[in-house]
Amino acid sequence: MAEKPSIAIGQVMENRGVAPGHFLLTIRLPLSFATPIPGQFVMIRDPDRGEPLLPRPISVYGFQREKGHAILNLLCRIVGRGTSLFSRLNRGSTLTVLGPLGRGFTIDSDVRQLLLVAGGVGAAPLAFLLQEGSLLKPDSGKRQVTAYLGAGTAELLTGLNRFQDFCDLRTATDDGSCGYHGTVTEFLAVDLGEYDAKSTLILACGPGAMIRSLALLLRDTRIRCQVSLEERMACGVGACLGCAVAIKEGEGRTGYRRVCHDGPVFDIGEILWDPPV
Amino acid sequence: MEADKKTVVPGRLAVDICGLRLKNPVMTASGTFGYGEEYAPFCDLNRLGAIVVKGLSLEPRPGNPPPRIMETRCGMLNAVGLQNIGVRAFIAEKLPFLRQFNVTVIANIFGETIDEYRRVTEVLTRAAGVHAIEVNISCPNVKKGGVAFGAYPDAAAAVTKMVRGETDLPVIVKLTPNVTDITEIARAVEAAGADAVSLINTLTGMSVDIERRRPHLANVTGGLSGPAVKPVALRMVWQVVRSVKIPVIGIGGISTAADALEFLITGASAVQIGTANFIHPAATMEIIDGIEDYMIRHRIGCMKDLIGSLQTEGC
Repeated sequence: MAEKPSIAIGQVMENRGVAPGHFLLTIRLPLSFATPIPGQFVMIRDPDRGEPLLPRPISVYGFQREKGHAILNLLCRIVGRGTSLFSRLNRGSTLTVLGPLGRGFTIDSDVRQLLLVAGGVGAAPLAFLLQEGSLLKPDSGKRQVTAYLGAGTAELLTGLNRFQDFCDLRTATDDGSCGYHGTVTEFLAVDLGEYDAKSTLILACGPGAMIRSLALLLRDTRIRCQVSLEERMACGVGACLGCAVAIKEGEGRTGYRRVCHDGPVFDIGEILWDPPV
Repeated sequence: MEADKKTVVPGRLAVDICGLRLKNPVMTASGTFGYGEEYAPFCDLNRLGAIVVKGLSLEPRPGNPPPRIMETRCGMLNAVGLQNIGVRAFIAEKLPFLRQFNVTVIANIFGETIDEYRRVTEVLTRAAGVHAIEVNISCPNVKKGGVAFGAYPDAAAAVTKMVRGETDLPVIVKLTPNVTDITEIARAVEAAGADAVSLINTLTGMSVDIERRRPHLANVTGGLSGPAVKPVALRMVWQVVRSVKIPVIGIGGISTAADALEFLITGASAVQIGTANFIHPAATMEIIDGIEDYMIRHRIGCMKDLIGSLQTEGC
């Protein structure tokens, strides 16, 4: 069960580049900050700036508690004005951190094989899942964890150590510089037949095109799959209705769910694609 | 200052507006505070002057396809399209939560036809825990209804009259700034029986993704809100307070107590906080505290002495 979110003032302890266009923020928070569930996110904002106006949603990459405070790690990709400013924050800067927010991943007790599928910085919530570990503990018997990580090039594969240490890691790059030459979904397609549909669960996060191709790949299988979606948001708490994702409702109707509050994790089968997969 | 603190009279921030006694003049703007529960982890809802809930229609509405929002300099565009659960689900699922709090609840309503406004009002009037109705005749993001009523004095008056005739609850009419003369609409709804007007709704705007050469919003245009619109909103509030006798509720880019005070001094009897909730979920709490601090600092005993106290001699 998710704990209650709060607004906290965090202090940047470290901010370093980890790959071209990617940086890792380490933020010190008060102990009162609730422990995030893997797949949850935070909204961060520089309180000293009026611009950009809105906080930015970032997935939790790491969270620990130590002597008197909590430590939050955020793995970010520079996509626009907000993340660009965050990438230049110095040690000691303050940040407003709202969270943890949203609905994270859930793993049913009958899952024996877990496949983590990520594209680029989408590795972040899955790396947190590995670090946090609580969701991975099988209720009975043994649970296999295999990760498929994809990126444009070898240097854009992020969070590799975390995956190497905790699971069987398979990589794919668009340019073939590391692992399988192609997209991560193409790589998964090659292996998919090896997994038992009934006891396998896929947890995925990545760009829209990757999620879409995954939906296409899994369309005619019975493999369960949860995906963490990304969408522009204003509030992060379910009020602005800005981060709508189209989902299938009864009688072929379209409904919208809030990525921030009803997600960001959804069953891939719920999502309505335009054009359809 | 400590001595001053002790002279704070309970209810110093209270305002009386169209028959409602509010603890303070700070309300939440419709569509920016959900149904209250979304912000309960961050705000003491009991402290709010009023909660104006997300716009309600007779039947649930799915809203517009995404992308629905885009941040702009000092503001944001939205084209949500009045997605809502419908008035009956609001009463069954959301109102019981709000009834736990000692807070004034204002239901914002929307209809595609004048009769739909009437029917939504009818349903809400029977519900326990709704204290006033805010009539949205100013949404820029829907094809039917909304601004189609708000942009024309006759149509605005017709909707107001219909709602007025259907309920004993106070009726607030929310006005659009996307008109040539907002005072004309304000006077028309006043004459039709509105108890108050609230303004402004969002300003129609647009933003283009130059890489893809496409609009950022699926709806192409959206409503601009946030700090960017505040001077426009304040000017319109200034115009309207001099044009009507009913109370005016100021809305538009209010992010701080200082912003709220500008509206109150200009003559707004209350204010609504919108986009600021998205930026800082406890914005309303800080604004209430900031207004109180200002009242103490300036030794103003009640809101009546502050509201409309703008000095313009020599301007």
